[in-house]
Amino acid sequence: MVLGETRNPLTELRRGVLEYCVLAVVRDDESYAFDIVRELANAGELVTSEGTIYPLLSRLRRDRLVTTTWRESEAGPPRRYYRITDHGRRALDGFTRDWARFRDAVDAILAAA
Amino acid sequence: MEAEALVSEYMGRLEAAAQPLPAERRGELISEVQDHIESALVEAGARDEVTARNVLERLGEPEEIVAAETGDGNRSATTPPPPTPERASGWGSVELGAILFLSVGAVFLPVVGPLIGLVLVWMSRAWTTRQKWVATIIAVVLLVVPVALLLGVSAGAGSSGVSS
Repeated sequence: MVLGETRNPLTELRRGVLEYCVLAVVRDDESYAFDIVRELANAGELVTSEGTIYPLLSRLRRDRLVTTTWRESEAGPPRRYYRITDHGRRALDGFTRDWARFRDAVDAILAAA
Repeated sequence: MEAEALVSEYMGRLEAAAQPLPAERRGELISEVQDHIESALVEAGARDEVTARNVLERLGEPEEIVAAETGDGNRSATTPPPPTPERASGWGSVELGAILFLSVGAVFLPVVGPLIGLVLVWMSRAWTTRQKWVATIIAVVLLVVPVALLLGVSAGAGSSGVSS
């Protein structure tokens, strides 16, 4: 996503899967944005620039795939917590199935090549 | 440069880059990134220059964050698919041309006009094959009948010329 960066297959793949990875992170528990970013960054390979997750979270809110609640924090200003919606859960379930098929197909071709 | 100065320089660049965003979202993004930096510094447990540099480096360039905001090739899960190419149901210039060549064209460009009209009819993607055949038959009949009549008249004239 760096302006002027040459197209790289991993960049394209990240672009396609990252929002589902965010949904997966908030699938079971609500999370604070910073913790979502941390979890994705710690997984490796998924995030190159942590800041670009914030536009993605905003899009997921707008698309009603996640919902947010403001909560007081012990220190500092209130924090926004993210939780998956039913709509988000359906999207994630669909992607999980598609991804398994996609991954298997790519693996099979790569192994055969 | 001190940590605080690094962060405020970064935030200044972010604010400048975020100018094209709607005011509400711009403010939100700036505060989200500000919170992130604060949380990351708390997590690191230090506020020295090296720590701040590391936090900002992991965040990425401000311009890059704003680019992700404005789309830049990112499509969301629920973005509707792009509209399918215009359905071939309406009449376009091909259909209009076909009608004109077959009607007015037949008067101003005898024979050639209707032939161009027929080519256009068959090029059309709005009409069905059946409709195209009907148009072709009508056009051919309208071409052939006058020609046949003319030939008949001239043949009649020729034969009468011989008999006289």
